[in-house]
Amino acid sequence: MVTLDVRPQLLDALSALRDRVAAARFPLPLAGAPRARANRDELLAQLDDYLVPRLKQPEAPLLAVVGGSTGAGKSTLVNSLVGRRVSEAGVLRPTTRTPVLVCHPEDHHWFSGMRVLPELTRVWTPQQETGDDLLLPGDDGQRVLRVETVDTVPPGIALLDAPDIDSLVADNRSLAAELICAADIWIMVTTAARYADAVPWHLLRTAKEYDVTLVTVLDRVPHQVVSEVSRQYGALLTKAGLGDVPRFTVPELPESAWGGGLLPASAVASLRTWLVHHAQDPGSRQYAMARTAQGVLNSLKSRLPELASAAAVQYAAALRLTTAVDSAYDSEYARLRGRLQGGAVLAGDALKRWRAFPLDCTAGELLDALVESLASLLLCAVTAADERVDQAWRLEPGAATPELADPDPTGADAEHRIALAVRRWRRELEEYAEEEVREIDRGAAPDPEVVAALVATALLGGRRARSAGEGLAGRIGAHGALRLRDRGGRLLAEHLDRVMHAERERRLAPLDGLDVQAEPQAELIAALSVLQKER
Amino acid sequence: MTAVTDQDHDPAHAHVKEGAERTGPPRPAFEPAAGAAAGATSSRGEGVSSSGQDTPSGGQGASSSENGASSGEGAVARRDAGEDGRAGAPAGGEDATGSADGDGKGDGDGDDGDGDGGRVGADAERGRDGVNGAHTVKEHERHARGESGDASVGVKSGAGSAPAKAADAPERVKAGDGAAAENAAEGHARVNGDGGRPRGRGDAREKSGDDSPRRTDPPAPRADDSARRGDDSARRGDDSVRRGDDAGAWDDGLIARRVSENAAAAAEQAGRREARGAGAQSATTLALDGPLRSRLDALRELVGLSRTRLDSKTLAEAGKVLDEAASRRRLSGRHTVVAIAGATGSGKSQLFNALAGVTISETGVRRPTTASPIACSWSDGAGTLIDRLGIPGRLRRRPVQSPEAEAQLQGLVLVDLPDHDSAAVQHREQVDRILTLVDAVIWVVDPEKYADAMLHERYLRPMAGHAEVMFVVLNQVDRLPGEAAELVLDDLRRLLDEDGVALGEYGEPGATVLALSALTGEGIGELREVLGQFVTERQAPARRIAADVDAAAGRLRPVYTTGRRAGLSEEARDEFAARLADAVGATAAGEAAERAWLRNANRACGTPWLRLWRWYNDRREPPTGRMRLRPPADEEATARQRVEQAVRTVADRASAGLPVPWAQAVREAAVRGAHGLPEALDELAVRAGLPPGKPPRPGWWPVAVLAQASMTILQIIGGLWLVGQIVGFMAPNLGVPVLLMVAGIVGGPVVEWSCRMAARGPARRYGQDAERRLREAAAGCGRARVLDPVAAELLRYREVREQYGKVVGVG
Repeated sequence: MVTLDVRPQLLDALSALRDRVAAARFPLPLAGAPRARANRDELLAQLDDYLVPRLKQPEAPLLAVVGGSTGAGKSTLVNSLVGRRVSEAGVLRPTTRTPVLVCHPEDHHWFSGMRVLPELTRVWTPQQETGDDLLLPGDDGQRVLRVETVDTVPPGIALLDAPDIDSLVADNRSLAAELICAADIWIMVTTAARYADAVPWHLLRTAKEYDVTLVTVLDRVPHQVVSEVSRQYGALLTKAGLGDVPRFTVPELPESAWGGGLLPASAVASLRTWLVHHAQDPGSRQYAMARTAQGVLNSLKSRLPELASAAAVQYAAALRLTTAVDSAYDSEYARLRGRLQGGAVLAGDALKRWRAFPLDCTAGELLDALVESLASLLLCAVTAADERVDQAWRLEPGAATPELADPDPTGADAEHRIALAVRRWRRELEEYAEEEVREIDRGAAPDPEVVAALVATALLGGRRARSAGEGLAGRIGAHGALRLRDRGGRLLAEHLDRVMHAERERRLAPLDGLDVQAEPQAELIAALSVLQKER
Repeated sequence: MTAVTDQDHDPAHAHVKEGAERTGPPRPAFEPAAGAAAGATSSRGEGVSSSGQDTPSGGQGASSSENGASSGEGAVARRDAGEDGRAGAPAGGEDATGSADGDGKGDGDGDDGDGDGGRVGADAERGRDGVNGAHTVKEHERHARGESGDASVGVKSGAGSAPAKAADAPERVKAGDGAAAENAAEGHARVNGDGGRPRGRGDAREKSGDDSPRRTDPPAPRADDSARRGDDSARRGDDSVRRGDDAGAWDDGLIARRVSENAAAAAEQAGRREARGAGAQSATTLALDGPLRSRLDALRELVGLSRTRLDSKTLAEAGKVLDEAASRRRLSGRHTVVAIAGATGSGKSQLFNALAGVTISETGVRRPTTASPIACSWSDGAGTLIDRLGIPGRLRRRPVQSPEAEAQLQGLVLVDLPDHDSAAVQHREQVDRILTLVDAVIWVVDPEKYADAMLHERYLRPMAGHAEVMFVVLNQVDRLPGEAAELVLDDLRRLLDEDGVALGEYGEPGATVLALSALTGEGIGELREVLGQFVTERQAPARRIAADVDAAAGRLRPVYTTGRRAGLSEEARDEFAARLADAVGATAAGEAAERAWLRNANRACGTPWLRLWRWYNDRREPPTGRMRLRPPADEEATARQRVEQAVRTVADRASAGLPVPWAQAVREAAVRGAHGLPEALDELAVRAGLPPGKPPRPGWWPVAVLAQASMTILQIIGGLWLVGQIVGFMAPNLGVPVLLMVAGIVGGPVVEWSCRMAARGPARRYGQDAERRLREAAAGCGRARVLDPVAAELLRYREVREQYGKVVGVG
């Protein structure tokens, strides 16, 4: 006998676990991510809709969810069990778009509140109103649950007519899955034409995996083949390891078919008896409830590690992406420094200016050219790094999301930022030069701009600007020249650092925005182990 | 009478040889007509009644060997041809000895070649040539073969021997039967049959009704076997059997079934078929209309062009479409293969049986019922088509024979598929495989399952483009009360519309939606009618191929077009040139040159006093900071980073509107071109830069110097004059010398100033010239190394894009 022993510690552990699950995110489009997201949503729904409320209030009525393929006759079955048309049945598929919950009037308060299925808005649509589906609030994206109260339902149990599990409408499918997850008793309906369909079998296997209280109904069986079909279905169930599941067969009757009336009570009597028995006999009731709850609790043992490993995979992928960016920027930065030392800035325009200086070129022009050349060198390094990142990321499945696309593919913004940084460096260098010049005697003081230009040339020109250093020493003295060069060099390194760092951060920002961390994995496992201890 | 029989006989042989000859040198597929034409001329040369019947079959023979050649089994086909010939030869020889006078006569006739058998003789010769080409045929066999061909000619010429021949006919057939026991002698038996059957009919019409079918029964099953083996000779075997039977009324599938049935029914059917056979036009392979053919060609071209750029996975689907189209084109265009697909329990097999009129496919409540596909062919010659589906012979059936149904569904090959939605995965795999091979699909849905996600999401939506070759039938309407059937049908139409399946209402092309009940037979007639019309049109295979091409093209769209304009704008080219010019420092060089020129000019035209002062200054000051000497040429004078950036930018611009693979190719081309570009620019800057030394001087320079000098002289003269007056050497006359001196003193700077003004223009020109030279050289270098490869790559893309347009059918 399965028993359910609920202690407050267990509930605490469970709600902690629930929060961890809710916090888990799988934003990178990896191979297993959609599945992990679905698993997480499903688990969360099951915890919220079923497990926590059930453990908190074991005395609440049982919820039996009727699920199955489209056209399996779920609504007809519910109507017949209740003895009244509570759920719309019809020939057009999918018929049931709004789930309907039917319970005894005394049990109404259990379901009118947000105890179970808190995400569904409750509505009370008046009966027998045709064309009301146009007015259903479900159309505006809000999901609703219709609650009906009928005297004929035994107290202590509620029936829920779920939408199709293989509906063309994707929302219906996910809603159906969510509703089934909220059930104490799963009633799986299939038909003579469908009993070998793949989709319902997936659900049956899930039911077996969770070890829930399961009932199957073989509906719409033409009476001449009842025994054969039911035998074969039984064989299939046995083969799947579900041989001991209670199995009810409902024959296809003229009045049942296609949206007509209700099935005669005799057709569903055995199922009804089974349900009533489980609702009213404390032992059976306790058993059915505890079995599903324990099953779900047990299933956590495998489901949480699955989520945790998916989270770990996410983190690993994020780490790979980050590493790709880091290594690209690092190597480009190294290249940049090498080029700087080689005097790559003093080339092209700047070199021509330097050659013409001071006869045919002013110090200002030389500085302009140098600054421009430096900016282009930086821009080149940044775009090259971005290109490397793109290349590396193209091989990463995790990077194939629009959120991670290069926010500035043309490099126009980077150009702007770099130009700004370089200009700032120039201004500060000029200030240094002025300070240096000010210390020299008024009479022989050289033009600070010339000094600045010479310092810049000496710093950026590498070997080929040796004469600039000499000129500088000649103008402000060897000591001053050395000091100025030191300061200027430090300043340059600082600015380069800042630029490259800023660009790297910019590139990493979208990835950081996804917030893929290493912690969820450990936290999920920890929460699970706490729960295991409390059980 | 004799003439008729002879002509019946001869072309048949000629065709066999024709086929053998064709297979000798492998020819490109496409010209089955050539073989047919050869056969046609030969038989028309005689120009009598039977030629019309023989011609098409000759065409078939030729085309079937075409198949062999083009399907890459050239060697096999050739050997088969050889065997065929060889097999035919002894038989023919026997026949000849049995019926005609002898070898000598036959040879002689063949050589004479101007009697009524002249053409045929020539054909026989050709046949022999063909056999010569087929290397496996042995010498004596060739000889025998020639005889067999000629024998008939001889037979023909000997008009008097006609009755004897007629009497021989059964014998010969018997010989054929005997040979039929051996496996290798298929062609033999068939050729025999060829010879025998028509003659039998020609001689004794009434006999053909009961005799010839029975006679020809035995060889046919073997033909079936070999067809299943899928070798070429089998195909030809089919053809020749058909040929012999006047109009291709012999089918392997039929035989397979009929072997298991009782002989009486077989005879009856064969008789009926024969009656029909005369009217049935045997079609050649599937012929596609011009636009579709050119689209297929374009697709092939496109795949070829893209192979280097796209990975094989992307192109796999297009390749598959091409392959399937090609293999379908080689097969009968007379038949339409229609598959019945649907969910388990929807009544596919029931519908299949209802259409066939007989319980062929097992139906039942056990789900899933049908495990492997079953084919049913309404007319003959579909064996190869069914081979293509991979349906074994034991699963091939014939419908129940009723004349009106036959007439209606003539050419239909129906395939009952397993379900696609049951838990049995291998069923789904089978369905997926066969669905890619059939010409049309009947989707069977039922009121319970018509809205299943599996059906719509997995099949109908991806195949929405195939609406024209799609039927959607709502089965089991008998389970729906009253007007509910209409409602469900409307809902089904709505769902199909949402799937993007065009509905063939109001005469528009699209899927046909019907409601029926296979159980009660309601609506079956309508389906039959629609299907019959559909099959008669014979458009389904072409439409299917067109839809396949559409689908493949649609899926390839993202790798071929982005919907944006692609190409390298003039602006981007200019910008690239400007960036390269920056990299070599053209602007700075120009300015420096201009200023240097101006400086020199000023120095040259300055007053001597100024020059003197400058010279003095120069001597006093240390020469630091001044490049007195021209420095040694710099290595890496070009700004690497700017070149890199320029290339990157231009590559980005060029690849802006391109799909990813092509953008990548453009970028690679640019990067490849940029290798060595900086070095080239370095070198070029030295070459195209200004020549070392002082800049040249303009022509007016000496004049200016002269003027400056004269101003100085004026000053000196004025000064001397004044001095002379002061010392009393000359008469005191202040005015003139002072004037002279003032003129000199004022004139010097004026000359200098005006020279400076005048020098501006040339200086600017000089500087601009220097800049332009560098700029142009850099741009030229960049164009040759980077822009041209990029443009070439863009051109290739444009070519591919155009080809894609052709595939899509717009261009």
